[in-house]
Amino acid sequence: MRHAYLSFAGKRLAQAAVVILLAYVFTFIVVSILPGDPVTNVLRNPQNGFSEEEIQSIIAAQGLDRPVLVQLWSSLSSFLTGDLGLSLRSSRPVTTMIAEVLPSTLTLATSALTVALTLAVLIAYGTQFLPKRWGQGLLRGFPSLFLSVPSFVIGLVLIHVFGFKLGLFRVIEPDSAWATFFAAVALGIPVSARIAEVLIANLDQEARQEYAAVARSRGLGQAALFFRHLVKPSLLPVVTVVALSFGELLGDSLITEAVFGRNGVGSLVQRSVATQDLPVLQAVVSLAAAVFVLVNLLADLVYPLLDPRVTLIGPARQSPTKAVETAAPGAAA
Amino acid sequence: MAPQDRLIPAFSRAPSSPLQGYQTARPPLLDVADLCVAYGRREVVSNAGFRLERGRSLALIGESGSGKSTIARAILRLLPAEARASGHVAFEGQEVLSLPERRFRPLRGRAIGFVPQDPGHALNPVRTIGAQALEAAARLDSGVHDKAARKAHVLDIFAQVGLDQPQRVFDSYPHQLSGGMLQRVLIGLAVLPRPALLVADEPTSALDVTIQKRILDLLSRLREDLDIALLLITHDLAIAAERADRLVVLKDGRIQEEGRTAAVFAAPASAYARKLQGDVPALNPDRYRPLKDRAARQRAETAAGHDKIIVSGMTKRFLVDGRSLTAVDDVSFKVAAGTTHALVGESGSGKTTTIRLLLGLEQADEGEITIAGHRLRAGDRTSMRAVWRQLQLVYQNPFTSLDPSWTVERLVREPLDRFGIGERAERDERVRAALASVRLSEDLLSRRPGALSGGQRQRVAIARALVLKPDVIVLDEPTSALDVSVQAEIVEVLLSLQAELGLTYLFVSHDLALVRQLAETVSVMRHGRIIEDGRVAEIFDQPREAYTRTLLASIPSGASRNALLTPLETEPGRAAARVEVLA
Repeated sequence: MRHAYLSFAGKRLAQAAVVILLAYVFTFIVVSILPGDPVTNVLRNPQNGFSEEEIQSIIAAQGLDRPVLVQLWSSLSSFLTGDLGLSLRSSRPVTTMIAEVLPSTLTLATSALTVALTLAVLIAYGTQFLPKRWGQGLLRGFPSLFLSVPSFVIGLVLIHVFGFKLGLFRVIEPDSAWATFFAAVALGIPVSARIAEVLIANLDQEARQEYAAVARSRGLGQAALFFRHLVKPSLLPVVTVVALSFGELLGDSLITEAVFGRNGVGSLVQRSVATQDLPVLQAVVSLAAAVFVLVNLLADLVYPLLDPRVTLIGPARQSPTKAVETAAPGAAA
Repeated sequence: MAPQDRLIPAFSRAPSSPLQGYQTARPPLLDVADLCVAYGRREVVSNAGFRLERGRSLALIGESGSGKSTIARAILRLLPAEARASGHVAFEGQEVLSLPERRFRPLRGRAIGFVPQDPGHALNPVRTIGAQALEAAARLDSGVHDKAARKAHVLDIFAQVGLDQPQRVFDSYPHQLSGGMLQRVLIGLAVLPRPALLVADEPTSALDVTIQKRILDLLSRLREDLDIALLLITHDLAIAAERADRLVVLKDGRIQEEGRTAAVFAAPASAYARKLQGDVPALNPDRYRPLKDRAARQRAETAAGHDKIIVSGMTKRFLVDGRSLTAVDDVSFKVAAGTTHALVGESGSGKTTTIRLLLGLEQADEGEITIAGHRLRAGDRTSMRAVWRQLQLVYQNPFTSLDPSWTVERLVREPLDRFGIGERAERDERVRAALASVRLSEDLLSRRPGALSGGQRQRVAIARALVLKPDVIVLDEPTSALDVSVQAEIVEVLLSLQAELGLTYLFVSHDLALVRQLAETVSVMRHGRIIEDGRVAEIFDQPREAYTRTLLASIPSGASRNALLTPLETEPGRAAARVEVLA
């Protein structure tokens, strides 16, 4: 079992590496066939005020005069060694630039995910056990409500109420704990809606299963039933949603960072797009692809741990006898 | 007088127990009175009432929809939220229905244990058996807070319920164990706190026959050893008669009859109980004798002596986890035209693979199959089409084998369309004829399967098989998903069709009582091999193999095992009652 899991994990890891490389190549090709030549747009832009010698030295340093395929090859090989090149604008190493903003965004994204998961589990628990007269129906409406309000509106409301009215945090210190918390709330609420919807649907289904009734017949209380029995089997599809939402979190963080004035990956993307700083753009897009792939890899690796029935290597060949004969339910009374 | 007497039909009956005078001093263990359960406006249980004394057993008998499981769940308070229960359920004198959840919870799992119907779905699939068992053990107020001691307790119970390797079971996930093992686990968990009452809801209907017998034996033994009262819910009168002191017969949520097992069994007072008794295959081995004789006469007249199915030396291997597994091993049998041959065996014995080979859904590694004169070449579509015209299948479960979005008319007509038989008008005519032959009204033509009962669905499936006028029909456990009375209707339809049309049946089943009723010849399969075959009468009278004897011994005889608890019944009286039922 352990050996099977390790070899499964190894295979998935190798697949993930290939996907990340392909994403890098794809981004490179897309950027290179986009209309607009960085040399004319950025370097020869009179606003930037580069002299002809400087332009020539940057072109030589970046290798912009070489054929695209050669550029791709050198870019890819330096990517593999962890070198993401130099920014066209500032000539600083792209790695350093990303390293500066990544912690802020990762903190925001993981806090937002924590907020989203907590909210989703609370709502889901309520929909299972809150008595009808205490507003169970209302609670079931929360996810649709959350989904329909954009995160920047929530962010503005939070800043207004907690920043200006209550003075819990100062808008000019966007990296303070409270400011981060409220940014995470703004970012996490729409995501929590999506998770809650899937979680509620699955909990409803699991709660109707025979094993839930049997567990209750052994004297289990509501909380024990929920946390020990129902949550784990309901989590499988939730893991998929969380993995997909994580990418969305990165995208949405661009807006939230702008609203809360944080300096993160989102604002770096914004700047590099505005100035056509191609090495930075290439690096950030590849980073996003890598995060996406890694999060989904993580989800894949979690599945077998959550559900022992998940087969590790492709669809297992069932003996047909078993497949047919287990499909016979008894006469239900 | 005991309250149950107001529920039995109006003639006197001997007092149910010599201990009754003593027992009225204490309230009965379980006293149900005027119990009604409704879903919205639809009442599914009406004014049910019965009593169960300490250490005794009582069976609730009825078909699907009779409300028997609903009563069990009302007692356990496990009804879905939309159900409303009213009336009285008193456990040891304490009213249960009106008790707040907080006060009722301590009773669950400690004083009242529950054994569910389908063990495959009764344990959390993503947690180990051990985790769930420890959780149950932790709820006991035994004063044991040490995890190791709890585990020892659990392993001990596992051993007591007949699990050979308690530690392996403890470490397993539910999907790694067989249904019989899971049911043992569930029984173990239910009796772990030594409850006073065990509610078993069809505890064996999802299991093989031999396992069914072992599980029922286990329940009987535990009941005696631990002095547990048993409320057994079942649709099988033979099982109830064998295992319970008292019977309560239910129909459409109402009690039809109630009383001591021996009395109800010997002379059922209500028409419904009599019908139920007449429909149980185990109790009526010769029920279809006239129909079978008619078929035999027809065979003799047409002199259809040749064999419709010839299977010789058929072998099929599968690769499972890199190992070769022989699912069907050198199987040979012949079925004479117009007769029924039964393939009998437990899950995993190779029955289903044999059928798949016959239908050409799998390719045999070795051996030959000839059906109605056609050599079967799986994989060759043109030759298979010729075979399929002569060979049709009626599948086990009519609830899943019919496309729910198709009308009955389209379902039955489909084979004619596929084989391009006749013009539109002729097809319609044949569809109507097929429906008439299974005694279904033409009004059903435009219905969809969702609007049909289980029995009606299975008749649609039979009509669908008949519409091509095949020579051979394979019946894969055609009644195992149906109630006994519906089963009796289906069997009757099948045997009349055989007598009229001279059909040849290959009947696959694990129900030997049913096989005795309708087959001429039988092959007993085990581990992919045929271990014994011959005429049904001979095999049933003088089984050569120990395994066949085990299978035969699992047919519930209807004879009570609680001889000590039931007053003596004169044998002639019982026999007379049986004759009366059959007449």
